Amino acid sequence: MRVLLVEDDVDLSRQLRTALSDAGYAVDHAADGEEAHFLGDTEPYDVIVLDLGLPKIDGVSVLERWRREGRTTPVLILTARGAWSDKVSGFDAGADDYLTKPFHTEELLARLRALLRRSAGIASATLTCGGLRLDPRAARASVNGEPLRLTSLEYRLLHYLMMHQGRVISRTELVEHLYDQDFDRDSNTIEVFVGRLRKKIGAERIETVRGLGYRLTPLAGESEAA
Amino acid sequence: MTADPGGASDTQAGARSRGWGRWFGRPGRSLTRRLIWLASIWIVLALLATGWTLTSQYEESSLRRLGAVLSDTIDEVVLATNTVPDGSLTVAEIRDHETLRPLSGKYWAVAVPTADGRLRIVVRSPSLAGEDLVIPRELPDRLRAARGETISYNAWGPLQKRLRVAASMKQLPGRTEPVVFMAGLDRSTVDADTQQFATFTWAALLILGLGLVVAVLLQVQIGLRPLYSLRNEIADVRKGRSARIARSYPLEIQPLAEQVNRLLDHNQETVERQRTHVGNLAHALKTPLSVMLAEADVQQGPLPDIVRKQTAIMQAQVDHHLRRARAAARAQMLGERTPIAEVVDELAVMLERVFESRGVEIDWRAPDDLAFRGERQDLQEILGNLMENACKWAKRRVRVSAGATGLGQMIVVVEDDGPGLPEAQREAALQRGMRMDETTPGSGLGLSIVVELIRAYGGRITLGDSEMGGLKAMLELPAAEA
Repeated sequence: MRVLLVEDDVDLSRQLRTALSDAGYAVDHAADGEEAHFLGDTEPYDVIVLDLGLPKIDGVSVLERWRREGRTTPVLILTARGAWSDKVSGFDAGADDYLTKPFHTEELLARLRALLRRSAGIASATLTCGGLRLDPRAARASVNGEPLRLTSLEYRLLHYLMMHQGRVISRTELVEHLYDQDFDRDSNTIEVFVGRLRKKIGAERIETVRGLGYRLTPLAGESEAA
Repeated sequence: MTADPGGASDTQAGARSRGWGRWFGRPGRSLTRRLIWLASIWIVLALLATGWTLTSQYEESSLRRLGAVLSDTIDEVVLATNTVPDGSLTVAEIRDHETLRPLSGKYWAVAVPTADGRLRIVVRSPSLAGEDLVIPRELPDRLRAARGETISYNAWGPLQKRLRVAASMKQLPGRTEPVVFMAGLDRSTVDADTQQFATFTWAALLILGLGLVVAVLLQVQIGLRPLYSLRNEIADVRKGRSARIARSYPLEIQPLAEQVNRLLDHNQETVERQRTHVGNLAHALKTPLSVMLAEADVQQGPLPDIVRKQTAIMQAQVDHHLRRARAAARAQMLGERTPIAEVVDELAVMLERVFESRGVEIDWRAPDDLAFRGERQDLQEILGNLMENACKWAKRRVRVSAGATGLGQMIVVVEDDGPGLPEAQREAALQRGMRMDETTPGSGLGLSIVVELIRAYGGRITLGDSEMGGLKAMLELPAAEA
């Protein structure tokens, strides 16, 4: 497994390199944003550890560039500030996990293992509907190439609608398929979730058929192959 | 910031100054009242002066007319007076019926000085019916001083009627002693006229005064409207309904509005700068802490143990003080509103992903229009820590629900289906700076920051049992008005 370690502190990067090598990773190290971006862009890493406070280009910008260029390598961000706004912006930029400094090396290794497990076997039988794209194995969805940020309920709702696209699905059917037995099964909440999903994917994609339910359709002008 | 004492006193002041009190209450601290009082006092004084001048002028001119009649009468009497050689005076008949009919109200008399310097009436009009015209004690001196001019005065006449009396001292041919001619006229008609005129005048002035006061009220109300509007905008900023003063104002107070905006900007800048400093300090300290921790992790023995422990304590201390500084800087922010649904959604998406391997699901409910009266970063910090905690302990499910309670407050509940927290430990979990596990950095409940931020916003947090089985954290936070 190849890992890219991006960290500007000399001591910390030396320690982490040792720890990662000991754990069996092949480690490349970058000490600033520019070098990190270049390496991440050219080498096929399995996972990246990215410190957010970097010289030249900051970590969030590096991550944004990778994601824009289509790099899907899982990224774990290291943040010293520990503020949630930093973590949220890191996630918005495309991070997969975060760790707040200071941390135990063991914790980092465990998180990396989890990330690798998660990303293993992404080779997809993706579902598409117009510009919508859903990868059931990675549990990721995107609209027109932009990754969607969905909670798991929203994701399940979209998944179900995409599996039955073009068909009208009643609220009761949705309730039965989305919730566990012990969930508060209130069909009104379906409306709430459909509303939220519409906000994220575009309201026109989910059509309300009065008295019957909902139907997912591609937008006018979008071809099935898009 | 405490639970909005400003808002409470606002409403009280509002109740106090409703109705007339708003305009005519004690003028001390209100511009409106000050203007209205000044204008009202001025109006009253001006109208009093006007009324007094008008009525006294009217009375004077009536008396002048009366005086003309009296001097005509005196002239007639003078012409009709003859000096008899024995020194006495006779008055030929005057054909004025009024002076003939007894007690008619029109009288005349002729008097001569006596030895003691007084006046003695020697001839009188038939209308006097034997009574005398009253002669004031000082009349002779005044007549002498007037050198032949007519003198007028008021006196009581027959039938207890008020008279206007005119007197004139003349020198008659063939007499060394001067003769005083007097004429009197009932002035009750004049008095009644004057009275009526005064009544009408004062009534008209009263109406005019009321009209002017109403006009002043309107003028003040309209003139000060921009000030009221500015006050409302500032209140909106304070309540988190808007971020800046947006409307434009008249020349006189536009600078004030701009100054307020500048102050808001400055406030924002100061907070940003403080946050950056704090963040930089955190960054500068935490990387070395990471190095020490990592070094200690790979070595065995008593020294690494001490380093691990002390590093944890140092980190807790750094966190604690940095957060305090941050919380203190933030509570002063004005005009911030953060939609809660957005923050919960982004945190839910992020945390579900982080805890994906354990399959944790976050179910959240929050009205779209519900907003936290405070900064986004703070709400992220509060909810991020609580939701992360819930995810850590949850078996599978975390629930976040938020709702407005009215009164500018909202309730947010974060709960999970994990093992929960024994009651004895809940208090400790909320203690400032305490960590549930003192030796493992980052693995405590992280509640100290939450507690401090909530306190800084004048909110409250309580821990309890969730019906889902785990811990339930209930927050009361200030809500921005819609």
